[in-house]
Amino acid sequence: MAQQPQEDQKGSGPAADLDMPPERRRAAQAHAAQLALAAAKVAAELPLGADVDDFRRLLMTEARP
Amino acid sequence: MQLEQLSARALAAAIHAKKISSVEATTAAIARLEAAHALTNCTLSLEAEEALAAAKACDQALGAGEPAAPLAGVPLAHKDMFDRKGRIASWGARIRAPAPATQDATVIARYKAAGALQIAALHLTEFAFGPTGHNYVLGHARNPWDPTRITGGSSAGTAAAVAYGAIPAGLGSDTGGSLRLPAAACGVASIKPTWGRVSRAGAMPLSPALDTIGVIARHVEDLALMLGLLAGPDARDPAASPLPVPNYLARLDDPVSGLRLGIDAAVIGSAHPDVQDMLQQVTKILAKQGLVATPCRFPDWQTLDHLVQLTQLPDCSAAHAHYLRTRPDDYGPQVRARLEVGHFIGAIDHLTALRARGGYLARTLQETFKDIDIAILPILADPLPTIAELDIGGGPTLQAAMARVVKYTRPINYLGLPTLALPVPRNGGLPNGIQLVGRPYAEAQLLAVGRAYQREVPPEIARPLA
Repeated sequence: MAQQPQEDQKGSGPAADLDMPPERRRAAQAHAAQLALAAAKVAAELPLGADVDDFRRLLMTEARP
Repeated sequence: MQLEQLSARALAAAIHAKKISSVEATTAAIARLEAAHALTNCTLSLEAEEALAAAKACDQALGAGEPAAPLAGVPLAHKDMFDRKGRIASWGARIRAPAPATQDATVIARYKAAGALQIAALHLTEFAFGPTGHNYVLGHARNPWDPTRITGGSSAGTAAAVAYGAIPAGLGSDTGGSLRLPAAACGVASIKPTWGRVSRAGAMPLSPALDTIGVIARHVEDLALMLGLLAGPDARDPAASPLPVPNYLARLDDPVSGLRLGIDAAVIGSAHPDVQDMLQQVTKILAKQGLVATPCRFPDWQTLDHLVQLTQLPDCSAAHAHYLRTRPDDYGPQVRARLEVGHFIGAIDHLTALRARGGYLARTLQETFKDIDIAILPILADPLPTIAELDIGGGPTLQAAMARVVKYTRPINYLGLPTLALPVPRNGGLPNGIQLVGRPYAEAQLLAVGRAYQREVPPEIARPLA
C-alpha cells in the first residue's frame, strides 16, 4: 500500500531535517504524493512473487543480439 | 583532408596509413575544441600537453612498425564523470570525490587499450542530473548551432564538441535521456545500449538501477565501432552482462528492408505538431530503406513515467543524502530541489516500482513488440527551447518543465531497452532528433537501421571550416 504524504510540516521522515523553505517542501510533498498514487495502482495488480531481479533476468532471456 | 568531418574510424585509418600523424590530428582537434568551447562552454579541462605527448608516442610506435590498435592515435574527449587514475573528476559539481581515483573506469581503460587519446574532460549537468545542459555551478552549456539554445543534457559537452566537429565521438551516460537529449539538440547520433551491456565501473553513479554508459558520435559507424570496444562482461560491475558482444561493425550492413517500424500514435500525439511532422519525415526516409510502418501500443506512458521517477529519485537522493544535509549550499538550485523530492518517496513505493519493472518489460515485449521489430519515438517533445526559456533554477515550474523535456526518454530507461538517437533532417533549421527503440540487446539491428538512414541523411557539423 502506498504511504500517505506528510502534512505541511517537517514531521519525522527522511526529509525532516532537510533545510527547505516551506513552499518547496509543499511542492516536493505534492509531487511525491502524485507518484505514491501511481505506486498504489501498480501495487494493486502486482503479484506477490514479483521480484526486483525479474527485470534483469528478462533482459537476458529475451536478448536478441 | 577535412579532419573535422572525418569519422573516428576514418581518422584511425588515415593515421595507420600515415596519411596524417596523430600529432597533427590531435593538434587540430585541440584547436577545434578551443573554438568550440568559446562558443558553447563545452570543456571543463583541456589536457593539451598530455594529449600531444601521447600522440607523439603513438606516432613513434606506428613508425617503429608496432601493430595499430583500432583507435590508435585518435583524439577523443568525454563527459567528466569517469574515473581516471590519479585524477578527481569534476562530476559537473562542487562536491567531488575526496581523493584521486586509484584506477581508470572500465570504459576509459577499454578506450585506452584501443589506442584512443583523451584531449579534454567535457561539460555535464551537475551530477549528470538534468536534461537541458543548464549547470548552475559551472555555467550553462550552449548549442553550437545557435548559442542561445540548449544543448540538452546531461552529456552536454560531448554532444556540443561532436556537433562542432572538434572530436568525432565521446562518452556519455543516460539515466533519463542524457545520451539522447543532447544528441537530438545538437544534431548528432548516440547509442544508449541495453541496461547492463556496458560496464559502469568507475562511472559516477546517479541511479544505478537506470544508469547506462554509451557513445555520442556523428557517424553511426563510430557508434558501432566504439560500442564493440566498450561492451562486455566486467568483474568490477556485477550488472555488466556476460552475453557475448556481437561484431557491430560487421553487422552494419545487415539487411533492414522488411523490418517493422512501430508507431504508437497515442504516445506520439502529445508531441508538438512540428515534432510530429519531423517524425513522419523520418518514417518516410526509413520507408525508402524498406522499413514498414506498423501501429503499436506501449503500456500506459504516464504510469511508466511515474515508475521511472519512483525508481530514480530515491536512488539519487540516497547517494546524496549525507551531502544534502551537510553541504546543501554547494548544490545548484535545480539539482538540490530534485534531490529533495526523493526524500519524500517511501521505501515501499520505491520497491514497488522496482518489483513491477520485470512485469512492465514483459508486457512491452509481448504486446508492444508483438508485431514490430523497432519502435520510433520523439526525443524532445518540442522544437529546441532557448536557454532562457528553461532557466528556471529550482523554482515552482521545475517539475513540470523537466517532465516535458524528458517525456519521451525516461520511460525507456525504466524498460532498459536499447535506443539509437538519430538527427532529423534540419532543412536549414534547428536540430532535433528521433529515437529508435529495440528489443533487449538488439543494438546491432538498431545500428544497421541507423547506417541505412545515414545513407539518406549524412552527418553534418555545426561549424564547418571554410
